Amino acid sequence: MIPVFMIFAFYFIFSEGISAQQEDQTFVTHTGAVVKTSGEVLDPVYQVSEVEFDPDKYLREFNYGRVSTLENGQTLREFTIIAEDDRVQEISPGVFYNVWTFNGTVPGPTLRATEGDLLKINFINNGSKEHTMHFHGIHPAEMDGVFEIVGGNGGRFTYEFEAGPAGVHPYHCHVMPLEEHISHGLYGVFIVDPKEGRPAADEMVMVLNGFDTDFDTENNFYAANTIPFYYQHHPIQINKDELIRVYVVNMVEFDPINNLHLHGNLYQYYPTGTDIIPSEFTDMITLSQTERGIMEFKYQYPGKYLFHAHKVEFSEKGWVGIFLVKDNIGIKE
Amino acid sequence: MELDNNKSKVKVVVSGIIPFFFIILMMAYIFGPGAGLLDFGVALPEITIEKVDFIESEIQATIRNTGPIPVEIAMADVNDRIQPSAIEPDRFLERYETALVRIPFEWNEAEPYAIGITVEDGTRFEKQIEAAAPALEPTLDLAIFFAIIGTYVGIIPVMIGLLWLPFIKKINKSKYHFFLALTVGLLLFLGIDSIEEAIEVSKENLADVFNGILLVATVTALSFLGLYYAGEKLLKKSESSRLTKPVAIALMISIGIGLHNFGEGLAIGAAVGIGSIAFSTFLIVGFALHNTTEGIAIAAPMSRERKVIGKLAIMGMIAGSPAIFGAWVGGFVYSPFSSVVFLSIGAGAIFQVIIIILNMIRVECNNNLSSAAVVSGISVGMVVMYLTGILI
Ligand SMILES: [Cu+2]
Repeated sequence: MIPVFMIFAFYFIFSEGISAQQEDQTFVTHTGAVVKTSGEVLDPVYQVSEVEFDPDKYLREFNYGRVSTLENGQTLREFTIIAEDDRVQEISPGVFYNVWTFNGTVPGPTLRATEGDLLKINFINNGSKEHTMHFHGIHPAEMDGVFEIVGGNGGRFTYEFEAGPAGVHPYHCHVMPLEEHISHGLYGVFIVDPKEGRPAADEMVMVLNGFDTDFDTENNFYAANTIPFYYQHHPIQINKDELIRVYVVNMVEFDPINNLHLHGNLYQYYPTGTDIIPSEFTDMITLSQTERGIMEFKYQYPGKYLFHAHKVEFSEKGWVGIFLVKDNIGIKE
Repeated sequence: MELDNNKSKVKVVVSGIIPFFFIILMMAYIFGPGAGLLDFGVALPEITIEKVDFIESEIQATIRNTGPIPVEIAMADVNDRIQPSAIEPDRFLERYETALVRIPFEWNEAEPYAIGITVEDGTRFEKQIEAAAPALEPTLDLAIFFAIIGTYVGIIPVMIGLLWLPFIKKINKSKYHFFLALTVGLLLFLGIDSIEEAIEVSKENLADVFNGILLVATVTALSFLGLYYAGEKLLKKSESSRLTKPVAIALMISIGIGLHNFGEGLAIGAAVGIGSIAFSTFLIVGFALHNTTEGIAIAAPMSRERKVIGKLAIMGMIAGSPAIFGAWVGGFVYSPFSSVVFLSIGAGAIFQVIIIILNMIRVECNNNLSSAAVVSGISVGMVVMYLTGILI
């Protein structure tokens, strides 16, 4: 009996040590240590992944619609938005999730108009479920996208209203169960510029969002613009002394708050963007669901500056990025 | 005549084959292409984090694909915070395949941690660790330490128990039967204890896919049957060899107890391995105490033998030394699956020994198991074990 046990014991002790040597790979940890492995690297932060959605493109892309002028002189902007709910997208390296999209992306396109413009949004629902578009802002009841359910597989509806008030607003699907439709990705940003316009700036949109990939009503990933850790790996390039304007919209579900902390600087904050006087000069604001605002700042010194949720859990699950401030090249004054 | 014979042979073969034909037909109907009978819906990935080791600046998780489909590992986290990490040999796991996930992390001793693994569809699997403690490295010093612990828990108590032999030798037949029955009581308790332990380990650490309770039942039954068969052979042989029947029985008891003590060693090694020093001390004291009764169990059937000292020493070793090997395995390479299997084998062995001893008493008592000596012996045995057991 004893020899049998000994054989067992030795087998258990030494079997793990016998494995073929492979070419080593290395990766860098959060603390900067370099680690070697004979296997594969599981790295949502540093790996360059071929994600379908391009956060760089989304950041500075504004959709002004097809513009024409009506007889009364009013500007008409027409948009076509197509909803789908069958897309499976790699939202973090190696993690695939069924996203529901407006025009193929999460978030949907950033729609932009000037206060007083007439908007015509041709909504086509190519999904398998019912969807709508609900815009925050001022509009008639029947344009609210709550009771006007648009059926799937080609259902249509045209939303028609005047843009206003000036500010940054979200739009999202408003079909029940609402949380499901929003957390799957049916939301986007709607910017209304004041008639007199805002000062020239390097403008960008950041939608703070998250994904509950295992459906336990807790987010597994957080991000600014969908892809966790993306702007940490691909810093957002900005110019020293140039005015930066960030339209921030918090679309995170399941968590009561989100926030944005800027390193090495403070920003003028305009809640909802409806007022031209900032409410605060700060490096930290806290946003509840669909709270949003405009941040304006300039960097005096070149270099890398972190921005992230100061709810550290969110930043450690992807909502973190870097501004790379460059030294006065191609500055627009 | 010849023709008839052939004809009936063909009949036999055909009648044996026909049911197979229907089995194939039935399977084709259930599983075959286009069969719509079975629709199990979406097969979901499942992985189990079987073991977590804390080494210098790194947490290592041994994971196994315990679901019905191959999985691809996407990510690791500590306390639900995503960490860059490595997986060896690779991220693709076939069914039941294991991999080692290495998470560089400056962990703090004695703090609790939750280790999470996310697969390609975004599902996260988690294991809670009550208190981080450095993983044991299989050093010679530690091996010697475990050997000493094993000796104190296994060999020495059993040897102490054997010292009751001269006492048992001097008593009359019914008192002797009392002690044999006492052995049965002790063993019965140990058998139940082993099963309980095996089920507990399987519940806490084994993936559902292994179906812990049925695994315990199956291994226990198989080990019982296997050892029963081997035991009967051994007893038959003992009639025609130098090995006497009581010695053969005592040997079987030693083997059964040895397997049980291996399980106890596993428990101690694993407790030291996960760093719960207080718990391991508790186990050591408790096991050491109640293992002295195991010596009585071995000594009782041998009491009518002469020149037993050498044999008893060997049996003491057989019963006691597995505790050492158990401690090594438990401390250095703990695997919930192997410990469930060992504990179940031990339970089967113990039940087999119980049957053998009851047989022995029945033969000696003219087919009567209901004497006061037997009933009180079994009862006292169980009560003694219970009382020493609650010390653990
Ligand atoms: Cu919807």
